[in-house]
Amino acid sequence: MPDRVRTDVGGAAVALDYDAELMLRVKEGDGASFGTLLEKHRTSVVHFLDRMVQNHAVAEELAQEVFLRVYRSRATYEPTAKFTTWLFRIATHLALNSLRDGKNERLQEHLDDDRSEMPVRQVSDARPTVEDYMVYEARLDEVRKAVAMLPQKQRAAVLMHKYEEMEYSQIAKVLNCSESAVKSLLFRAYEALRSRLAHMA
Amino acid sequence: MRCPIETPETAEVLLAYGAGKLDAESRAALAQHMEVCDACREFARGHQAVWKALDAWEVPAVSADFNRRLYQRIDQEVSWWDALLRPFRPLFVRQGLPVAAAVALVVGAGALIMHPGGGPIPPAPVSAEVDVVAPDQAEHALQEMEMMREFNRLIHTDTTDPKM
Repeated sequence: MPDRVRTDVGGAAVALDYDAELMLRVKEGDGASFGTLLEKHRTSVVHFLDRMVQNHAVAEELAQEVFLRVYRSRATYEPTAKFTTWLFRIATHLALNSLRDGKNERLQEHLDDDRSEMPVRQVSDARPTVEDYMVYEARLDEVRKAVAMLPQKQRAAVLMHKYEEMEYSQIAKVLNCSESAVKSLLFRAYEALRSRLAHMA
Repeated sequence: MRCPIETPETAEVLLAYGAGKLDAESRAALAQHMEVCDACREFARGHQAVWKALDAWEVPAVSADFNRRLYQRIDQEVSWWDALLRPFRPLFVRQGLPVAAAVALVVGAGALIMHPGGGPIPPAPVSAEVDVVAPDQAEHALQEMEMMREFNRLIHTDTTDPKM
């Protein structure tokens, strides 16, 4: 294993080593390692982008671009940060650009669309009734709208904190700001969400 | 315990509490504090509700052909290099890098003879433009082709799509 890759112990460091090592193998021309990285991170990247832009087709397109950029950058890749930090920095950058470029205009239309592409909710008891489904959809709509109303950086911070379970330090690196700025972003974001969603408790 | 809601920096304790990520000792201290602090109690209750609401937000699964589409795009980029280097391919395959280096050297020397003195090279007429392929570019392209062969093998195992 190359010296550049850190070998600290601990869950996060092991993940860093493995992903970084895979990426270094890609750099050396190993296509299978790129496939492994894709399999490992594809779902989280697509889901993060989906919740950011709230349009599944756009999210998949952006995720394709993320992995294409990873592939293109292999020759110059250096494991100076955790691989997922780099990956989500690319994803966040593309998502924010997409939102700024107005691709999010589809967002509101999408929010008002029917939800034919949404996954069927799994429930442990008997099959959900139409009424259950409608209640679920209405609640989901509220959540999506509440998140969509957050400023873009707050939205990204919340999604990384909640769904990717990232530490403040990693979110800070992705968003290129200080850890205290991240805490502040998250606090304000959760406060805003609390005022919009508390009634759902 | 100092009231954690006073600044966003210290409110991380409340965020961690809502997310169920607070260690037992801090959780106990916060619980004790919340008995006398309405603001923190209210925040924690609200944050837990938000957390629960966000838990319910599922997104559609990734399309089954996501990988195929991605590899296709990579393939298209590689194809460009492949097309450019096709005339030189037999040389690379049979003779390897030395030949590529020799070709590049000859082309480079020719360019130097044509433009002695190291001054800026005036642009050639469009009709006479020649792409000079450096050895490292050639090697890179060969690597690309090798990777694509590997991708194709991977895709064959992943999908029954006869195209890939």
